Amino acid sequence: MITHGPNSLVTNSDAVVCKELVKRYKQKLVLNQFTASFPAGKITGLLGQNGAGKSTLLKIIAGLTQPDLGEARIFGKKIHWKQNHDITILSDRTKWYEHHTVLEAIKFSKVLFPSFDLEKALELIQFMELDADQKVHTLSRGQESRLYLVLCLARNTKIVLLDEPFSGIDLVSKEQIIQVIIDYMVESSSTLIISTHEIHETEGLFDHAVFIRNGANVLSGDVEYLRATQGSIETIYRGIYR
Amino acid sequence: MDIIQVGDLTFQLDYSKPLYEQIISQFRFDIAQGNIPLGTRTLSVRDLAKELKVNPNTVMRAYQELERDNLFETRRGHGTFVTSSQKKVDELQRSLATQAVSSFVTSIKSIGFTKDSAITLIEEAEWN
Repeated sequence: MITHGPNSLVTNSDAVVCKELVKRYKQKLVLNQFTASFPAGKITGLLGQNGAGKSTLLKIIAGLTQPDLGEARIFGKKIHWKQNHDITILSDRTKWYEHHTVLEAIKFSKVLFPSFDLEKALELIQFMELDADQKVHTLSRGQESRLYLVLCLARNTKIVLLDEPFSGIDLVSKEQIIQVIIDYMVESSSTLIISTHEIHETEGLFDHAVFIRNGANVLSGDVEYLRATQGSIETIYRGIYR
Repeated sequence: MDIIQVGDLTFQLDYSKPLYEQIISQFRFDIAQGNIPLGTRTLSVRDLAKELKVNPNTVMRAYQELERDNLFETRRGHGTFVTSSQKKVDELQRSLATQAVSSFVTSIKSIGFTKDSAITLIEEAEWN
């Protein structure tokens, strides 16, 4: 593992620290001694091809699955279900109740999560141009992604994990999601970890990047430092996965 | 390279170099060239970050550096403004001109020209 730039040392300013995580699914080694830290209050891009181990890593951080070996800590503490109120995860496989309307999905989230900010959610769906009365199962892929992002961000958690929020959606949805993420970063002090393999549109969005290949951290660091020393994130990405 | 129009200003972002440095240098050139009138209120960090689709920390870092150079000033509760001091702009123009001359000298020397022949070239060059 190579680490670069400011934030490269494990310090108190890390929201999430992963140490030598190993995870197998049957014969397949999904995480292979994965070690990395994710700075607090910043946006980290978790970058890698499909199958690199991104989703598994995010699930471990969210406490949805356990590593076979190694450990992950959140703000210095071992991961435990009691921390659920500090973490939101948007999974790429998220599905909502089909018969709910957008508004019902929001109201139901308010019941599930005490810290859910109903007004914030209503404001966000307007910005995202979602129709409150539309049934969830009739939403396009892009509208669905926008709704799930609203449900995540309105929870106001310390850590927000977004697994492939940009994959398979239209350009306008992508741009709206980026705008909402920028607003969110200005308004909150949360830590975001966003996994993606679509680098071009998100190139400017990250503070920090972690490149994952075959379940291991192959490069990580401050994005502006990486640009100064090695070039664009897209170029580095191509170099790593070529 | 992305070219992004933000109001009257055009930003060019080259993702292979630090973005905050490019934001700083574009504001410096825009102020020196008079594209931004003195004393104008700038976009907020949030709004410029959204226009450029870059991390707000990146824009914040650029604004802080421009403030340190006294080209931007933040008035609490009112936002960030371009300096209203003509003296600062004169200093900035001088510093940009010095940089331009120094890179001209480096490249003209590298192709074997002396100072005198370079001066002749400058005099003969098309200035209009």
